[in-house]
Order: sequence, then structure tokens, then C-alpha cells
Amino acid sequence: MKQTTLRRLISLGLLLALVILFTALSGSRFLNANNFIDIVRDASVTAIIGVGVTMAIITAGIDLSTGSIMAVVGMTMANIYAYTLWPIPCMILCGIIVGLGCGLINGYIIGKLHVPEFIGTLATMSIFRALTYMIAIRDANGVIQSQPMNISSYAVLGYAVGYFYFVVIAMIVFVVCGQIFLKYTRLGTEIYAVGANPKAATLSGIDVAKVKMIVYTIVGFCCSVGAVFTTARLQSATTAVGQDFEFNPIAAAVVGGVALSGGSGDVVGTLIGALFMVTLENGVRKLEMNTAYQYVIKGVIIILVVMFDAWYKGRMDRIAREKGAKEGVSA
Amino acid sequence: MNNINWGKYSKPMILVALVVALTVLRGTTFLSVGNIANVLWSVSVIGIMVCGTIFVFLLGGIDLSIATLCGFCAVTVVEVIHYFHDTGLGLFVGILAAIAVGALAGLFHGFIITRFGVPAFLVTFASQSIFQGLSMVVTNNKIVSCTAPAAFTAIGSVKILGFPLPIYFMILMALLSWFVLRKTVFGRYVYSVGGNATASEISGINVKRVTIICYVLSGVTTAIGGIILASMTQQAAAATGSGYTNDVITAGVIGGVSLLGGEGTVPGAIFGAVLMGLLNNGLNLLSVPSTQTGLVKGLVIIVAVAFDAMQHADQSRKKVRKVVKKAA
Repeated sequence: MKQTTLRRLISLGLLLALVILFTALSGSRFLNANNFIDIVRDASVTAIIGVGVTMAIITAGIDLSTGSIMAVVGMTMANIYAYTLWPIPCMILCGIIVGLGCGLINGYIIGKLHVPEFIGTLATMSIFRALTYMIAIRDANGVIQSQPMNISSYAVLGYAVGYFYFVVIAMIVFVVCGQIFLKYTRLGTEIYAVGANPKAATLSGIDVAKVKMIVYTIVGFCCSVGAVFTTARLQSATTAVGQDFEFNPIAAAVVGGVALSGGSGDVVGTLIGALFMVTLENGVRKLEMNTAYQYVIKGVIIILVVMFDAWYKGRMDRIAREKGAKEGVSA
Repeated sequence: MNNINWGKYSKPMILVALVVALTVLRGTTFLSVGNIANVLWSVSVIGIMVCGTIFVFLLGGIDLSIATLCGFCAVTVVEVIHYFHDTGLGLFVGILAAIAVGALAGLFHGFIITRFGVPAFLVTFASQSIFQGLSMVVTNNKIVSCTAPAAFTAIGSVKILGFPLPIYFMILMALLSWFVLRKTVFGRYVYSVGGNATASEISGINVKRVTIICYVLSGVTTAIGGIILASMTQQAAAATGSGYTNDVITAGVIGGVSLLGGEGTVPGAIFGAVLMGLLNNGLNLLSVPSTQTGLVKGLVIIVAVAFDAMQHADQSRKKVRKVVKKAA
């Protein structure tokens, strides 16, 4: 318990340090209410998808296909928008069903076919992207077009009520539900058990394959909700939706203290991580630095955090062992 | 026993079947020397890269930074050549610099993976982003073209006996890599570590050193691939080599390299690269749009790895059954 609290404080500290750094460098251009509302809005989609990715990482897995699932879902909705007169809720429902299907495919490949998570989702990443191109909206010459989706009953999802964008409200709902699901339900506990020790989980009667399938289906669901809000904000759907996105939720989870070895971490940590990554992007933009540096900084931070986690875990294990040995001697 | 024999002959059979099918479908276009040379030329970069990354695959590791590292090395060589005003000296220094970049990247991966016990895919996934950013910073996010010195463009395009030079490079790298894996102690160590790292450690192999060397080799071949790619296209940009990560992994798994470690050969991997080239070329000749080849490659990876993983699971289940029987 104490260890996880400390890790939470570290990720909060990192976030705070970043805010202070950018405030010192660019002053009121960074530190104002509007900018913070923007940061939270930008972090929302990452955090929503991060809820699912967190669960995948807790089972000691990973999902590299999130960006491509977003693209497929966006393009499915664009097709329905362009070629049918179905009502908007019906269109969104179809998109979400496709997202669930994509997630289920990932889950089947990983759970039932025993393909290692990162290879399976690396493959589905290119498969879903290719599917997006195949169903893309084309003009008469066969050139891929971006499909505008600016009907007001859909675009309203990208708007705000007062200070709160709908996407932020959705994020809060997702994070709260995700946290409750992980900590207080039977399935949530099973997810932790599978990640901590799959053999022990199997022996205690948990259907590991089923748990994994459910987790990756949840990731698919989160991706489809992320896609709905992304396309509503852009008011269009293109084949490039979610390109290079898959890095962000994983980075958020890692910064937020979700251990890649599985079995620990939670959704709130990922939310902090998402805020951290977006603050970083925002600050770099406000400093008017070359955006290329973002790629470098992101990569370096991930590696540093992962190295720190590995070092910290080793240290804690050693302390625990020494303590155990001492108690053994005294007993 | 049956299984092993089937596995041994299946690869040449698939290759022959594919050639026959494509010949029947698009006879005159497909079976010309020009087209064959083209196919080999187009896979030579992937073939060269897989000769090094196979070491990483054999360890049970992975390198997701291949694509962007290849791009960064291509950018390095081109920028150094420009720095030396397009001279032969620039070419020499540029090639050395690019290979050094690749080797350092590999050293960096290997060091972090072994020293901190971090999963390989995460380290290489993060450094992929770093390399992309660096190439974008160096090139200022533009395409840098490079058409001089003549020796530079010759690397990728000059023809000997009707076949372009990169094909000979690929054959040379394959022979080297095959020799190291089959005929040296180090090669044996690699298979041993991939098969069972703990057992290898106990029997006195310096697992950490072997791991680091493997990642360095992967970085070096990626750099060579990047140089040749830059020379073929006579330009370099941050996007150079994008998509090659999947291609190299696909080539490996088609060629029977187990991504779970310990299994696979260089001829197999080269076979995989050529098969993928044929597949790409065939799909092209049958006018399947290039955006859909991602679908085929993804499916191939999943089917190959699933087959491999199911076999592993089956074997361990059999072992358990045997032990249980003995106990009874």
C-alpha cells in the first residue's frame, strides 16, 4: 500500500515539476485558465483509451492497435453518414459495435491463439489500418477523400457546456467507472490476478483466456468512444485518424505507474500520466520549439521512467528480502 | 518426426507454388529476368536487415525501432555527405558515421534491456520515437536529396551481370550472418540463450554480453540497410524506411524464425524476405492496391506466430501429461 502511494506521489510530482518548469519558461502564456482547460480537453481521448490500455497492461499485455481501431471506427461511421440516412445515435452505435469487434479479434488472437500481445496487436495494427483504407470514402476517380461530418447533432459532441467539454465529462465517467471496476468487482480482481501470476490464476480457477478476451474487448470499446469524440471534434473522418496515436496511452500508463510486468497500477495513475504527456506537448508548443523535439522528449521520458521503475522495484524487493531474512533469523 | 519433415520441405514448396501460381496468372510479366531482378532488388534492404535482427529474434527479443533507425541512418549518411561537399571522403565518413549510429543505438538498447531488465519491445518502442524526432530535427522535416558523389548512387543501382549491387550485399550479409550463427561459439551461445536464458547463465554463458552484442548487430545491419535505401532512392527523410519494422518481422516469421526465441535460421529468414517480395510483386502485378498489402502481412504474422505458439503450448501440455503419468 505504502509503495503504491509513493509511486502516485512521484507521478504527481513529475506533473507538478513540468507545470512549474513551463510556467518559469513561458509565464502567463502557459499558466492561464484557458490553457488548462485545453490541456484537460486534449488529454481526454488519451485518458479514455488509457482506461482500456491500463487494463491490458495490468494483465501483463499491451495494445499497439488502438490508433488503428480508432481509424476503422471513424471510417465506419463516415460510411454510414455518407451513404445512409440512419439517425446519429444509430451511427455511433454501429461504430462502437465495430470497435468491440476489433477488440474481440485482438482478444481472440491473444487469449485463444496464444500469440504474444505485442506481436498480435502489432499485426492487427497494420490489418485495421489496411481495412480503413479499403472502406475509405473515395471520389469518382478512386481518390480517397476525407468525409465531412458536420451535422450539428453529431458535431455537438465536440462542444462544451460552460467550461466542460463533453469529452471531459466522458473521460471522468470512464476513469471513475474504470477505477471502480478494477478495484471493487470480481472481474477486476481477476485482471490483477492474471497479470501478477497467470499460472496461479489458472490454478485458482480463473479462465485466463476469457479474462484476456474481455480486457481487449474493453480496449476496443474505449477506442471506439475515443474515435467518436475525435471525429466529432474534427467534424470529419479521414484515414489518418489515430495515426501514431498508440504510443500515447501506453506512455500515459507507464508514467502513471502501471507496471509493464503486470499486476499493479490503476486508472487514476494513467489519468495523471495522460495529463503529463499532454502538458508536455502543450508546453513544447508554447515555447515555440520545433515539434520534432516532442518525439525525442517523449521517448526519453518513457525510457527514464521505465528504468526508474525497474531500479525502484529491485530495491524494494531487496529490502523486503532482507527484512524477511532478519525476521527468519530472529524467529 | 512427421511434423519436422513437413516443416523442412514446406518452405521451398510454398515458394515453388507461389512462383507457379504467379507464372500462370501473369506469365510473361512475372517470369522475366528484369522482374526477378526487380523483386530481389526490392527485398534486398529487408534481407540485409533481417540478417542482423535475426540475432535479436533468436534471443526471444524484438526490435521495434528498425524503421525509424533506418531512416535516421539514411539521414546521417546523406547529411554527412553534404557536410563534406559531396566528395568521396564525405561518402566514406558518412558510411562510417551511419554504422556508428546504428551500433550505438544497438548498444543503448542492449544496455538498458540487460541492466534494468526492461522488456525489449518497450525500450525499442520508445527509442523509435526518439530516432524519428532526431531525423526530423536534423532534416528540419524536409526530404534531403543526394545525387553526388557518383559512388554513392552506385551503391544502390549499379548492375553486375544484370543484377543490382544490393542483391550481392544481401547475399554477402546472409553468408556472414549464417557463418556466425552456425560455425562460431558465439552463434551457439545465441541459440542457447534464446532457448533457455537461465540454463545458459548457469552453464557459464555471459548472457548480458551476448544480448548486448545481438542488439548491436541488429543496429549495424539496420544502418547498412538505411545507407543502401538512401542510395537507392537518392534521398533521405524522417519517413525513409517507414513500415520496415513490420516487413522485417514478417520476413522472419515467414522464414520460420520463432519470435519466442531459440528457433530459426538465416537461409529461412532470407527465404521469408524473398517470399514477401514475391507476394508484394505478385499483388502488384495483379493490381491489388498497395494499401491492402498491410492486411496480408498482418494476417501472415498472426497465422505464423499462432501456429508456432500453439505448437509450444501443445508440447508443454504433452510434457505435463508425461510427468503426471509417471507420477501415477
